[in-house]
Order: sequence, then structure tokens, then C-alpha cells
Amino acid sequence: MKKECISLQHISKEFNGNLVLKDVNAVLHQGEILGFLGPSGAGKTTTIKILTGQLKPTDGQAYVLGINCQDIDETIYEQIGIVTDVSGVYERMSVYDNLKYFAKILNVPLDNIDILLKRVGLYEHKKKLASQLSKGQIQRLILIRAILHTPKVLFLDEPTSGLDPTTALEIHKLLKELKTEGMAIFLTTHNMEEATKLCDHVALLNEGVIVEYGTPQDICLRYNKEKKYKILKNDKKEVLLIHTEENIKVLNQWLMDDEIISIHSCEPTLESVFLEVTGRELQ
Amino acid sequence: MKTIHINKLLAIIEVKGKALFSKNFIIMPIFSLGMTYIMKLAYGSISKEIDMTGYYLSMGVLMNVCMTGVYCVAACLAEEKEKNTLRTLMTSSVNGLEFFLGSLIPVVLLMVIVNVLCVFIAGFSMTITEWLCYVAITTISSIIGAVTGMIFGIFAKNQMSAGTMTTPVLILFMLIPMFSHLNEIIETISNYLFTGVIMNFINHVTTKVTLTNPLELGVLFLEFILTVILFLVLYKKNGFEAN
Ligand SMILES: Nc1ncnc2c1ncn2[C@@H]1O[C@H](COP(=O)(O)OP(=O)(O)O)[C@@H](O)[C@H]1O
Ligand SMILES: [Mg+2]
Repeated sequence: MKKECISLQHISKEFNGNLVLKDVNAVLHQGEILGFLGPSGAGKTTTIKILTGQLKPTDGQAYVLGINCQDIDETIYEQIGIVTDVSGVYERMSVYDNLKYFAKILNVPLDNIDILLKRVGLYEHKKKLASQLSKGQIQRLILIRAILHTPKVLFLDEPTSGLDPTTALEIHKLLKELKTEGMAIFLTTHNMEEATKLCDHVALLNEGVIVEYGTPQDICLRYNKEKKYKILKNDKKEVLLIHTEENIKVLNQWLMDDEIISIHSCEPTLESVFLEVTGRELQ
Repeated sequence: MKTIHINKLLAIIEVKGKALFSKNFIIMPIFSLGMTYIMKLAYGSISKEIDMTGYYLSMGVLMNVCMTGVYCVAACLAEEKEKNTLRTLMTSSVNGLEFFLGSLIPVVLLMVIVNVLCVFIAGFSMTITEWLCYVAITTISSIIGAVTGMIFGIFAKNQMSAGTMTTPVLILFMLIPMFSHLNEIIETISNYLFTGVIMNFINHVTTKVTLTNPLELGVLFLEFILTVILFLVLYKKNGFEAN
């Protein structure tokens, strides 16, 4: 049994009478990625703040590495890493000096810095002032700062939001590697592709309520009530076939006659599931 | 009581110390030194008979204690909030005490150095005992100034607001002692200000009447305790970030 790194038990959070999280339950195990997928305002950041001890839940219990989040002090941050949209950098300091500062604080050998800089392709920019970096470079800087001390749990609040696809892909690659190395990663996103590709488990969060929870595949299959196939025929015509006895016969005939270029099954995506459950778009 | 990790404290001191030398902040100590020098140039040529060196020195030191102490510290803390680096430090295992000391130590050191340099620039002469008293009094005043800056920093959201908030207080702290000779009420108020205590001490050395008196030491001690307590109360309530 893999170690439980995060556990949310009946978490609720109220801001001046507004319930922004309602009975949220989730677990994250070592070496896994758990994603909270939801539109803006769903309560993703609030969840991260509760888990990292920056906010107290109104109700319920949250645990990180077995410690109740209401009781954590600053020593917990030696074992967890956090990347949020408000993670700041020292603009007047170079990339390297920014990292050196935190390496010293976290008592990490300075050799780690260059290794990580190379790993995310920032090594050539190590002498640049942080104020001269692009958004994607800053995001990578913040990310490696959060993993300098190889934390057991990494929190990422919309880590690729607003980044170009190439940088997003690089970050995805790094996250997968970190996961393989045993890190537990909690990430929030409103990007369903990101959630599908990266996460072992996903919670679909809408207005503070988890409306679906499971592996991305399971969630999609649960909604796969009506199987559909998208077929491209030799005459370049695209046909959408619903799985019925009649249609299968047609399909069989086409196959035998070699009339088909490609067949795609159309399972629901997390996005379409979200739309079906909540009536809302993700973005 | 929070524990202090030396590695964290040293790292903060190093970074905060370097930050003081950025152009936003270093102008304040430079300004204080420059002011002392300009005063000396301006008055030195006018009055050759009266010893004005104490006056030049007072100007420099008061400026240093107020501008470097109150303004720089407030603006520095505000900047960390504005750029979200304070939150990042606090979620990277730094505790409040480490941040507090790491922020204060470099700035107080810089102020102490400037206070001493001002003496030489002004050409003010003191005996060993007077020197010791001078360093002690200006250092405690520097700490009072810096902690006052921290208090303002709690409420300032950014560097701009730090400037706006501290300006009236700076004027009060600096001008009241400077104009204390004009009327009795101002003089009385000045006697109860830590900046007034510095001014009085320098006058005492010049006139060679006495070094200090119990009232002045009491004021200094009380204001030191009060600012620290006020800071602690506000910090307990707000952390470094008041909403
Ligand atoms: N400090 C706060 N005070 C009051 N309301 C808040 C506060 N923080 C967040 N909220 C509200 O809680 C809801 C969830 O916010 P958040 O967790 O930031 O959503 P997300 O990160 O999913 O976009 C929003 O409606 C937001 O307005
Ligand atoms: Mg958010």
C-alpha cells in the first residue's frame, strides 16, 4: 500500500457566509498526481491554501503527510513545495541568486541548483535578472524553486495557465518524471487535456462541490452511455455512427469493402463530462 | 518562542543586506551623509566663531534614523508583499522571528555605520566616554526607527503606500527636535521623542554640561519597549500582512 500524502475529509470553507467548498473529500498517494479540475472560482486555490496551512477550513479535516493542516507550523514547508499564481520572485536578483537564497534557507546543497536549471532548460539564463524573464521562464524558475529540496508533496496551482504549449509540455514532462521519482503531486487546472494526460485521479470541482472523482478514464467511461464512432471514408466523407445493431452491419460492410480510411471511437472527454454534469463550460 | 535557524537567518540577512544597496533604498543613508556634509559647507563658511558641528551631526543622524530606519524598513517590507516574496518565504519554512531579525540586522548595522560616519563628516569631537554613549544612544534609536518601520510595513500594501504612510511621522520625528529651540511646547514634546533625545545628547556634548539625564534615558528605554510591544501585538493580530 502506497503512503497517503494528502487526505481531505469533509472539508468545507466559508467566506463571510459564502460556502466556497462543500464536503470535499480526496486522497493523494505517494508517486501519484491528483488533479482538481474546475472553472475559475470553483475553489481550487482555496483547497490548496487549506492544505498548505494558509487558510483554516470551516469544517472537516485536512492532512498533509499525516499532520493535521490546522496544526502545521513552518517546518512542514521543508517537506512540501508550493507553486501558485502568487509565488513571487526577487526581480532585482538573478535566476541563480533567487534559487541560491531558497537553497540556503532550505539547507539544500547548491549543486542541486545547476542540475535543476539544466533539467528545465534555464541554465543558459541563470545569470539573467528575474525581471528580464518571460512568463514561461518565471514559471519554470518558480517550479524548480519549489522542488529544490525534493519535497514529498508538491502543490501546483494552475501551473501551465497562460503558458505557450511548448513550455506547458516541458512542465508536463518534468511533472511526470517527478511523479516517477515518488513525489506526490496535487495540481489544479481548468485545462481538461492537462488533467487527462497527467493525473492518476481527477476531481471535477464545480462551485465548491466535487461532482465526479476517479481516474480520468473511469470518469469518461462512466459517461460513455452511447458509443459513437467517427469514420472517414475513402471519398473523404466523415460519418458519425451511433453504436446500434443496424449501424454495425453497415460498418461491417464498409470494412469488408475496404471503404474506410480511419475509425475513431468518440468517448466523452472530461470536458464533455463536466458540461453534462454541471451545464457549464470549464474555461 | 520560535526557534531561529542560523542558516535561514544568515541567508535572509545576506539578501536583505544586498537589497538595501538597491537605488530605492541606498539613497536614504547617502542622503543623510550628504546632508551632514552640505550643512557643514553651508554653515561652516558663515560662522567661524560658533561651534556648529553638533548641529550638522544632528541633521545627519536624525535623517538617517528616520529615513533609513522608518522609511527603508517599511518600504522594504511592503515591497516583499507587493512582489509576493514574503508569502513565498513564509511557505518555504522561514518563521516570523527569522524574517524580523533578518530584515532588521542589516539595516541597523548600516545605520550604525552611517551614524558613526556622520560624526567624522561633521567634524564633531568626542571623548571615549562620549563616543560610547553616542553609539549606544544612536544605536537604540536606530532600532526604534527600524521597528517603527516594521510597524508601518505591516499596514503598507506597496512601496508607494509605505512612502505616503511614513512621511507625516518622519516629518514629526525630524522636525520637532530640529525646531525645539523655537518654543517651549515644541521643546517639551521633543524631550519625549527618541529623536529629541539624540539631539539633546549632542547638545550636551557640545556644551559639556552633562552627558545625559534620567529623563532622556527613560524616554529612550520606554520608547524602545513600546515600539517592540506594539509591533508584537500587531504582528500577533495580522502577521506581516494586515488586510
Ligand atoms: N479571501 C477570500 N475572501 C472571500 N472570498 C474568497 C476569498 N478567497 C476566495 N474567495 C471566493 O471563493 C471562491 C473560490 O475561489 P478560489 O478558490 O480562488 O477559486 P479557483 O482557484 O478555483 O479559481 C470564489 O468565489 C472566490 O471569490
Ligand atoms: Mg485559483
